[in-house]
Amino acid sequence: MTDASHEVARGPHHSGGVAPSALSAHRIVKRFPGVLANDEVDFDVRAGEVHTLLGENGAGKSTLAAILCGLYQPDSGHLVRNGVALHLPTPRAGLQHGIAMVHQHFRLVERFTVSENVVLGSRDLDFRLKRGQIDERVAAVAESYGLPIDPTATVGDLSVGQRQRVEIVKALYQGAEILLLDEPTAVLVPDEVEKLFENVHAMTRAGKSIVFISHKLGEVVAISDRVTVLRNGRVTGHVSGKGAADARELARLMVGRDIEMRPQRATHPIGHEVLQIRNLSLALGGVGVLSDVSFNIHEGEMVGIAGVAGNGQRELADTIAGLVTPTGGSIAIAGTMCTGRGPIHSRELGLAYVPEDRLGTGLVPSMSILDNLLLTRERSVLVDRTSLRPEAARLIDQFEIKANGPDHPARKLSGGNAQKVLLARELSGGRTTTKLLVVCSPTRGLDVGAIETVRRLLNDARSAGQAILLVSEDLDEVMSLADRILVLYRGRIVHETPGETASLAAVGAAMAGVLQGVA
Amino acid sequence: MGIPVRITFEQRGDAPRRLSLLVPMGSVVAALVFGAVFLLATGYSPLDTYSNMLSGSFATSRGVTDTLALATVLICTGVAAAFAFQMNVYNIGGEGQLYLGLIGAAWAGISLGEHLPSLVMVPLVLAVGALSGAAWIFVPAWVRSRLGTSEIVSTLLLTYVGASLVEYVIYTPGSYFRNPNTPFPQGRLVAASAKLDPFGDSRLYPTIIVSVVVAVALAWVVRRTEYGYRIKVIADSPKAAQYAGISARRTTMSVMLVSGALAGLGGALLVVGPYGKIEPSIVNLGYGYAGIVIAALARNNLAAIVVSAVLFSGLRVGGEKLQITTDTPIHIGVMLQGAILLFALGGEAFRRYRIRIVRTGVAT
Ligand SMILES: Nc1ncnc2c1ncn2[C@@H]1O[C@H](COP(=O)(O)OP(=O)(O)O)[C@@H](O)[C@H]1O
Ligand SMILES: [Mg+2]
Repeated sequence: MTDASHEVARGPHHSGGVAPSALSAHRIVKRFPGVLANDEVDFDVRAGEVHTLLGENGAGKSTLAAILCGLYQPDSGHLVRNGVALHLPTPRAGLQHGIAMVHQHFRLVERFTVSENVVLGSRDLDFRLKRGQIDERVAAVAESYGLPIDPTATVGDLSVGQRQRVEIVKALYQGAEILLLDEPTAVLVPDEVEKLFENVHAMTRAGKSIVFISHKLGEVVAISDRVTVLRNGRVTGHVSGKGAADARELARLMVGRDIEMRPQRATHPIGHEVLQIRNLSLALGGVGVLSDVSFNIHEGEMVGIAGVAGNGQRELADTIAGLVTPTGGSIAIAGTMCTGRGPIHSRELGLAYVPEDRLGTGLVPSMSILDNLLLTRERSVLVDRTSLRPEAARLIDQFEIKANGPDHPARKLSGGNAQKVLLARELSGGRTTTKLLVVCSPTRGLDVGAIETVRRLLNDARSAGQAILLVSEDLDEVMSLADRILVLYRGRIVHETPGETASLAAVGAAMAGVLQGVA
Repeated sequence: MGIPVRITFEQRGDAPRRLSLLVPMGSVVAALVFGAVFLLATGYSPLDTYSNMLSGSFATSRGVTDTLALATVLICTGVAAAFAFQMNVYNIGGEGQLYLGLIGAAWAGISLGEHLPSLVMVPLVLAVGALSGAAWIFVPAWVRSRLGTSEIVSTLLLTYVGASLVEYVIYTPGSYFRNPNTPFPQGRLVAASAKLDPFGDSRLYPTIIVSVVVAVALAWVVRRTEYGYRIKVIADSPKAAQYAGISARRTTMSVMLVSGALAGLGGALLVVGPYGKIEPSIVNLGYGYAGIVIAALARNNLAAIVVSAVLFSGLRVGGEKLQITTDTPIHIGVMLQGAILLFALGGEAFRRYRIRIVRTGVAT
């Protein structure tokens, strides 16, 4: 399975041979009720390197990290720290051995200041220390790794990126030599990711070891000295050498099959207009959200809306779907006006809508898959579940939804499977055959395999002649799928370009609002 | 470092089915044990007390019919509470709606004439009672569904108004509802055709059938109909309801009206059954409030209300008889009811969490 390894370590230790492991795990097995989360996993990290754990959601990355820091006990297998066998009954014991974890969900007290949070739980805190002195120490630690942070700020006032910095400073302050970062980039915007990577480099230069956990290929390739790939709790591959990892190869190891990563565009000629939007404007609570938006979508065409979150994309989708009544302008679906007539009317004209919020808006979490299929369909006074059951089973099959049949509750589905249920319902039509599909952030938070499936489904829908509006903050996604790209900035369309010839620079600039005549 | 053992609560992915039954039963047992401690402490024998209560409520035919008689109205108020609670609408004014049901039914029973046959009169009286209960919740329902005003406060406040109304119509000289032939305040009897006969020489009326049928029918409505589907969507995620074009406003309004009607029906069942008139002591019996406890015990499962209402009635009937036959204070029954509620709510923790004792091994 290690066919991809290149045993030439090009880590920062050039002084002769491979540095010894700072921490290693041997044949770790961890079982949860019904799942083997870690199955004979071997892993090690050296001083001064970034070793990435890559894997899809549920692959067992967090579990392994929890074992490495003493939060969980392995069922079998053992840890070795600097050549000595290690038993970690608690995270505190892990900390005493210089191992600290920054969790996916932060564990900070919002009402406390940064330095209060940092020193919280330190046992050897000298009670004679003055607040000012503590602040100074915290600031000094932060500074030395290029983590600018105000020790007197209240955590509740900080952004997500800043809070993550507090967690890292806390780990360093407690003397961590080995930092486990569990999906640190999941909560960050691109700018913050770049900052984080600089911090990571500062830490490895100082000889710290970083275990970086992620399922995003691009950043893994960018930051890792070595990569270990997990799938279903097993190690499926190992790549070493900075830059040696290849995204396509990693994707294959992660998912277990080849992944389509090429752009996809309409292959059929586009047909009649399905959606017509004229001078649409919307104000919510007196604040303008959309102004003078006009565009059309044709049969077999996918139009992508790009933009930084909060520029009116979601409101545009909600308005088209009939959930919000616009302040001005008109919407027509398949030639029939449907402005402000509610979602059911729009659906009767052929609208299907996959909202950004899957569980809670698109799906009712406590209900079964079967009942969720009924949500946007016509229901008779007596709900007829019996006749829908075979269709539900067929859709589960056809969309490759991992579930124990139609009665599986939606809240127990993984993100990818929830999205597939939503797409299955919306694509299969209900009140009428689907003509217009509005999808918002369809692949957000999904892993590589699910992303590929969702994109294939959208592509198939386009080939079948449906008109698609793709709203996504993932610029790569819009660039690689849409036939036409519209950039929304402060509620206006500021840029329009064919997908094929779109330039990343131009679209990016438009998203940032630096284009012709933007007020 | 102390004992190397720690108790942890792990959230269960999904509560096992059997626990849905075991936990309420466990709460009852725990409440009985709790009560036993108090009985012992105050010098009564728990065994004697409980066996006396049991023979007063479940172990004799008299006890059983008395228990079911009380359950008749408690099923209604329990279903009224649970029907609203399941949609996260907290109608805690079932008590007041019950009073209005009583007044409305008495009015219909007195005024709609002697000429109608029982077969028409009884359903008519029940319908008027239910409508009166619905009318009493109309304003809270309207402001809740339009403006989002808390129904908890508004329905509760109206209960006090309802209690005053009951007293007003009975204690005011010359009141339409007051019996003109007795010098002391008493309700005027309804027409004979509006009154049912009890089973044999018991105090149990055929109205129990109405209660049970209503509970079961409503459970079916929630499970099988479009209306029930809408209720479940709104209860779980109002945003999903909006997405699907389901009007939360209209459904909330109708659920509250139905809830009020059910409590009102409870009052009407008292009129066609045991009372035959307005009985002003109703304001001291707390049947509406008991419905809240019963709903909690049944975890808002409409069909399970029947069981929890019967259980609750048994405790109360047994407790009351205890006071008559022995010198045990009636408060023991009341205390047990409170204890059951507390344990039932605490028992939720067992249903939702797995409680584990973990050896932390060698303490560091
Ligand atoms: N505390 C737990 N109890 C039960 N199952 C768990 C627990 N933690 C993780 N799992 C299961 O173990 C598997 C691996 O999970 P995890 O390590 O969190 O994956 P990853 O971090 O790679 O997404 C998953 O199937 C998950 O459902
Ligand atoms: Mg994880």
